[in-house]
Amino acid sequence: MPRPSPQTITLSVDGREVRAPENMMLADAAKLGDIEIPVFCYEPKLGEPVGACRMCLVEIEGMPKLQTACSTAVKDGMVVHTRSERASVAQQAVVEFLLINHPLDCPVCDKGGECPLQDITFGWGGGMSRFIEPKRHFRKPLELSPLIAIDRERCILCYRCVRYSQEVAEDYQLVLLERGEHSFVGTFDGHPYVAPFSGNIIELCPVGALTSRPYRFRARPWDIEGAGSICTLCPAQCNTSLTVRDERVLRVLARDHHEVDDGWLCDKGRFAYQAIHVDERITEPMIRDGGLLRSVGWERALAEAVGALQRAGSKVAALAGGGATNEEGLLLSRLLRDVLGSPHLASSPTGSVSLAHWRALSDPALAASVPDLEFAHAVLLLDCEPLDDAPILDLRIRKGVRRNGLQLFVASARASALDPVSAAKLRFAPERGAELVWALVAALRRDSSLDDAARAAGTSADAVTKLARSLRAAGKEIVIVYGEQLLSGDDGALLALADALGLAGRAGAGLIGIPHAANGRGLREVGVMPNAGPGFSRPQLAGGHDPLAMAKALGTGELTALYLLGVDPLLSYPDAPAWDRALEHATTVIAHASFLTKGLREHATVIFPSESSAEKEGTITHPDGRVQRLRPAIGHVDEVRSEWRVLRELGRMLGGQIGPDTAAALSAELFATVEIYAGLTLERLAGHGIRWQEEAAAASSGEAPRVGAAKLRRAPRQQRGKVLLGSYRSIWAGPEVKASPALAFLAPSQRVELNPADADALELRHDEQVVVSDENGEIRGRVALRDSAPAGTAFLERELDEHGANMLQGPHVRIRSVQSVEAEASALLLAAQEEELRETEQSEVSAL
Amino acid sequence: MSATPPSGARWSPFYDQIEVQRAPEPGGAGGAYRAFGETLRGLKTTLARVVEGVSTIQYPEQKVAVYPRFRGRHKLHRFEDSTDNGGKAGLEKCVGCSLCAAACPADCIRVVAAENTPEMRVSAGERYAAVYEINMSRCIFCGYCEVACPFDAITMGHDYELSDYNRSDLIFTKEMLLAEPLDASPLRAEGE
Repeated sequence: MPRPSPQTITLSVDGREVRAPENMMLADAAKLGDIEIPVFCYEPKLGEPVGACRMCLVEIEGMPKLQTACSTAVKDGMVVHTRSERASVAQQAVVEFLLINHPLDCPVCDKGGECPLQDITFGWGGGMSRFIEPKRHFRKPLELSPLIAIDRERCILCYRCVRYSQEVAEDYQLVLLERGEHSFVGTFDGHPYVAPFSGNIIELCPVGALTSRPYRFRARPWDIEGAGSICTLCPAQCNTSLTVRDERVLRVLARDHHEVDDGWLCDKGRFAYQAIHVDERITEPMIRDGGLLRSVGWERALAEAVGALQRAGSKVAALAGGGATNEEGLLLSRLLRDVLGSPHLASSPTGSVSLAHWRALSDPALAASVPDLEFAHAVLLLDCEPLDDAPILDLRIRKGVRRNGLQLFVASARASALDPVSAAKLRFAPERGAELVWALVAALRRDSSLDDAARAAGTSADAVTKLARSLRAAGKEIVIVYGEQLLSGDDGALLALADALGLAGRAGAGLIGIPHAANGRGLREVGVMPNAGPGFSRPQLAGGHDPLAMAKALGTGELTALYLLGVDPLLSYPDAPAWDRALEHATTVIAHASFLTKGLREHATVIFPSESSAEKEGTITHPDGRVQRLRPAIGHVDEVRSEWRVLRELGRMLGGQIGPDTAAALSAELFATVEIYAGLTLERLAGHGIRWQEEAAAASSGEAPRVGAAKLRRAPRQQRGKVLLGSYRSIWAGPEVKASPALAFLAPSQRVELNPADADALELRHDEQVVVSDENGEIRGRVALRDSAPAGTAFLERELDEHGANMLQGPHVRIRSVQSVEAEASALLLAAQEEELRETEQSEVSAL
Repeated sequence: MSATPPSGARWSPFYDQIEVQRAPEPGGAGGAYRAFGETLRGLKTTLARVVEGVSTIQYPEQKVAVYPRFRGRHKLHRFEDSTDNGGKAGLEKCVGCSLCAAACPADCIRVVAAENTPEMRVSAGERYAAVYEINMSRCIFCGYCEVACPFDAITMGHDYELSDYNRSDLIFTKEMLLAEPLDASPLRAEGE
C-alpha cells in the first residue's frame, strides 16, 4: 500500500488555530499546536486507538457528549476545548477513579519521577480523593520474566502491553486475565514472558506496573543523564538512549526513529549493555608470554604489535567486523594498504563478488529504505531471517502486513518466524540461495532454464513459478531483503532479479542487503574489502585475498600475521577448521576485542581492549545506507583506548601518517575520502543520520554490469542415514549476551533443529543429546524438534564459543545420540579388552 | 538662582536646591558639650554592661544550647522497638527513594538503592538505601531533605560540631547518620 498523503486542515483547540493532517487523531493533532491532552492507553506506535482509559476526554463543539481525543479524527473547522469546565471535571474524575486502586508507593516505585500517572495526576487531577475503602491487593513484585518485574497493584489496565504483545510483536503471550476489578495482566498458566522483543513493554507501561529487573532500584530520573547512541550489536542499528549514572550505563531506552527502528528495541539491544561493566570484559592490553596471555601496559603491547607488523611487512591480512566504525575501517585499510603494503583485508565472509557488482548492488537507484518495508506492495525475504539477522525489521514487516496490506513472501532455507504472516513461502536447500534467485529470474522471464535452476536450488519448478506469479501480481513496489551469504555463491543473480522485476529507479522499491557484521555495509563502503578501496574505488594494490583464500594463505605460511578488528574468525566465519589451522600457523595474531572468544583465547598474540558502543565515537552505516553517528556516552573503562587512536598510533610508529588526531577531524576526512559520503558532516548527521543515497551528489551511475549466465551448483542429494547441514545465527549469539548477567539465561547452546519425521527416522527424541559429525569433525548439541523445519535438513547454530556449526562443512552430516555413540565406543573398548584377554590367555597356554 | 522652578518651565539643573548644614564652630559652649556630653552618653552604655557581669562562654568546655528547631547534623532513623508497628521494629525508615537528593539545593546527598531480600531485610519497603551519603562540607543545612522525606526517615539534628581535618571525612555515611551523635549538643529549654 502506498504511503498516505493526507491534506492539511485547520482546527481550533482551546482557541488556538492548529494546522494538522486530516484524519490525524486529535490527541496527536493538539500536540502540533503545543496543547497537551493527557493519555494513558493511547500510543500511536501500537496502531489503532482503543479508548480504554478515558483520560483524554475533551469537549468538541457540535457533539453533545465528551469525546476521547485519542480516537477522534480531526476534521476541518473542528472546535475543541480541552480545559473547559466539563472537560476538566471529567478529567479529574478519571484520575480519581484511576487512583482508587493505585497504591501510593511512589517513593519505592522505579517509575517515580518519570511516571505519566504522576504527571497527569499533578496536571489534570483534582488533588483530593474521596475514597476511603481498602485498595485491591496482589502479591508483589512478581517476575513476569527474568527481565521484567510486574506489580499488578499498580496496573491501571490500559492494555498497552497486551496490545503490544498481540498486535506488534505478535507473540500472543500477554493476556488480560479475570474480569472487572479482578483483572490483571499475565500469561497463560503463569508461564514466563520470554520473547525477543519483550523489553518494549517496560517502556510502554505508563505506570510502574512493568519494570526492568536489571534496572530495578538502580537510579532515579534526577540521578541520571541520557546519552543518545546507536546499538551496534546487529546490522539493524537501532537508535538508543543510554541512561548513565556515575559513568556506568544502567539502562538502554529506545530513541524513536521512524526511519530506522520505529521506536522499538529487541531484548538483546535493551539488556546487553550490562556486558560493558563486567569482569570478563578485556579492559587492559594483553600479550602472549610463554604461551599464556598476560596483562601489560599500552607501551609494551603497542611495541610488541609494531615489532610483529614490521617483521610481517606485506604478509599481513586483516579482518574487520562487529561494531567497528567507518573511521576505524578507513584507518585499518590505510594501515594495511599504505603503510604495510598488503592488499589482504576483508569485513565479511562473503566470497569473491566483483567490484562492478558491488557498485551495482549499492546503486542509489536500487536502494530501498527501511520505511519502504512497511509501505511496499510486497516484500521478498531471500535467504535471511530478520528475527535473527536484524531483529527490528521483523517488527517492521509485521506492521506492514497487519496495517498496510503488505504481502510478504519468504524464500529461505530455514523456517522463518515470519512464515505465519507471509502470503507465500518457499523452502530451498541450505546455501543454495543464489540458485533459487536464478530459478526465480527464469520463472519471471519464462525461461527454459527454470527446471535446472529449481533442481539446483533443491526446490520444485512449480513452487518457484507460483512464487514468481504471486510476486508479479502483488504490485510494482517490491522490496527485496536478502542475506549477504546469498552473494557468496554468485554475484549476478540479484541484479538479474531486480532487473526482471524492474526495480531500478522505482520509488518505494529496491534491495536491502543484511550484512554479517553490524557495520558491514559501512566497512565495505570505506574500503575494507579485498578488491575495493574507499567508496568502491579501484584499489592501488590488487590481488587481495578473500577470507577463504586468506585462511589458506595463513595456513601455508604465505601470510604470516593476522590483524583482527573486533572479529574472531573462528567464531563467526565459515570453515572453522581452516581458520583454526590459519591461526595456529600465523606467527602473530593482533586483535581488538572486548571478550576472550575461542580464537583469541588460544591464538592471539597481542590483544588490545576494544571500546563498547557506549564509548565509541565515529559513524556507522545502516544496511539501507543511513550514515549514523555514534557519540561516547561514558568515559573509557579502565585502560581502554579508542580503536582509531590505536590504529593511528600503530601507523605512526610504523612510519606513516594515516589520520588526523581528533575524532571529528577523522570523520571529516572520511567524508572527504569516501566519494559516496561527499557532503556529509557530523553536524548534519546529528541525531538522525542521513541516507547517502538521498544526497544530491549521489546519482545513479546508470551503468549496469553485464550479468553473465547463471552459474549453478548442484543441490546435494539426500543420503541414507544422513541429513543436510544448514546453519543459522541466533539473535542471542555473541559474547555480549553471555556476559550480561540478566541475559545469560538466553545465551544459546547448540540446538539441532530437526523435523519430527527425520527425528523419527533417526530414532531421536526432543532434547536428546546428540553428536553431529561429518568428515571434518564432530560437535555436540541437543535435538530441538520443530514442525516447520524442512524435512531432510538439520539446522545448527553458528557463532557459538563451543560446538558451533562452522566446525562442520557438510553438506551431509550424521546425527547420533550421545548414548549410542558412547555405547559404540564402550563396545569397541570391550571388544579390544576381550581381544587382549584372549591373546594373554593364548600366550599363557603357549607358555605352558 | 531660584530654588523652585516656575510652573510649566522645563527642568534645569539650576533648580536643584542645595542646602549645606555646617557643624558648630570649635570652642565655646557647643564645643565643650561635644567634648564631654556626648562621650559620657556613650560611656553610659558601656558602664551599664559592667554591672551585668561577664558573659563569655568557655567553648569547647562549655557549649551554647541550641533552639529546638536548630538545623544541625542530619540523623537517619529506625523504627522504634514497639509492639504496634507491625514487625517493623529496628528496620530503617529510609527506603532509598532519593527524594532528599532531588530536593537538595547543594547537591550533597547521594543515594544508591538496592532491593530488600527475605534473608536481608533492611528497610520496611521493597527497597532500601545501600549507600546513603551526605557531604557535610557542602551541606547548607537548609532542611529541605527533611521536608522532602515521605517517611520521616531523615531529620535535622542539633549537632553542630562537624569540623574535621580531612575533607573526605566530612562525607557522612549511612552508618554514621544512623548512629546517635557521640556528644549531643545541649538543647535550650522551653521559653529560655
